[in-house]
Amino acid sequence: MASITAIRNGIVANLTSISGLRAVAEVPDNPSPPIAIVNLDSVEYDGALNNGLTTYSFQVSLIVGRAAERTMQRKLDAYSDVTGSQSVKVAVESDRTLSGEVYDLRVERSSSIGSIQIQDQTYLAAEFTVTVYA
Amino acid sequence: MAKFVVTTNAVTLNGTDISGNCARAELVINAAEVDTTDFGSAGWTEVIGGLKSGTVSLDFHSDFGSGAVSELFEGLVGTIGTVTLIAGNGTAASATTPEYSTEVLINSFTPVAGAVGDLSTFSVSFPTSGAVSYATA
Repeated sequence: MASITAIRNGIVANLTSISGLRAVAEVPDNPSPPIAIVNLDSVEYDGALNNGLTTYSFQVSLIVGRAAERTMQRKLDAYSDVTGSQSVKVAVESDRTLSGEVYDLRVERSSSIGSIQIQDQTYLAAEFTVTVYA
Repeated sequence: MAKFVVTTNAVTLNGTDISGNCARAELVINAAEVDTTDFGSAGWTEVIGGLKSGTVSLDFHSDFGSGAVSELFEGLVGTIGTVTLIAGNGTAASATTPEYSTEVLINSFTPVAGAVGDLSTFSVSFPTSGAVSYATA
């Protein structure tokens, strides 16, 4: 049975296949975009008898870069695409068992696409919901 | 024994523990109603118990791995299998975690099911064949 830390690290490993994107399992003090931060959102226990299935929901917080920079919107588009070398969905689902740690996973949605404020700077960002069955 | 939330009931089919892929298990035991109403029933129906029967209903998460539940059911449709259910979140028969065992007719299997994005699951409901045994040890 996979630990949450192992699952989180597996998602991070999948994300590192995106060229130029840093992926981390812990929230850094000063995030330097573009960066993807993998956070655990919820755990649903007892999906089957004898702990046979646990469903985890992870949030991948993607901070693309300063909103004022012209190329950032295009970068965010590429990260949010269904296909392509920059696609977060493609990268996270590139190894759906995380080297055998889990049964399956799926990137369900991208949401909260827009700008956020970090230390008086406006950044383009998005949230990706990853459902993991383990 | 107190009231309890179901988390770890044990389910086996033909001796294989399939609990980890099972999300719901139910055994229903019935007795047929045999009508004995007559002129002396004072306007009410009267019944006695007839033949007993049972149904085992199970919900599974699909898994085609070697020896896993979906593979286990392959080729079993039309055959008699043995199902054991240990209630009360038990792993072995005891007074508070009784074991029910019965032969069932495996009369259906749904190997492919599910909509896009859903966890792949399947459900079965088998009639019992013969007696349902009850053990506390």
